[in-house]
Amino acid sequence: MDFDSIVLAIIAGLSVFGLVRVLDGPTIWDRMLGFALFSSKVIVAAVLIGIIINRTYMIDVAIIYGVLGFIGTIMIARFVERKGDV
Amino acid sequence: MTQVVEWIANLVIIIGLIFMALGVFGIFRFKDYFSRILVAAKVDTVGFITIMFGLMIKHGFDFFSGKIILVLALYLITNPIATHAITRSAHLSGYRIKKER
Repeated sequence: MDFDSIVLAIIAGLSVFGLVRVLDGPTIWDRMLGFALFSSKVIVAAVLIGIIINRTYMIDVAIIYGVLGFIGTIMIARFVERKGDV
Repeated sequence: MTQVVEWIANLVIIIGLIFMALGVFGIFRFKDYFSRILVAAKVDTVGFITIMFGLMIKHGFDFFSGKIILVLALYLITNPIATHAITRSAHLSGYRIKKER
């Protein structure tokens, strides 16, 4: 259990709280906020995994996840804002 | 020498973790959406930057750190835009701060 895996475990714990906000957020935007927070934790976790197993392809996974999460958030925000007719 | 660098990198990562924990704590402490998104967008981004710097220091100057800089740049661009889009949709859909009585 070296330092990096402890940091990875803590970040996994923190991401659970982001999901708790998705569950009990009163409004839709709280849920989107919780999801944005969760995806930032996943990006950090992916980079950390890349460092633990010492492979660089995991950082590409983090980049791709970041881009897709961003596009998803923008589309959901647009969908909610225009009440359905994007 | 490498021991000192390792120790500094670990310290920076711990500081980044504290910022991330504060970001997560912030979204539960505030009762209104707009203050939550303010905390989540800012403090979480600072935590992300600090952790990435710590990882870069730990890895020294090589191809790996270059990719971490790429992730950092991507996140710095996308996170503000994403949180802005969410808040904009909230505002345009008529969500207003309820005055505390």
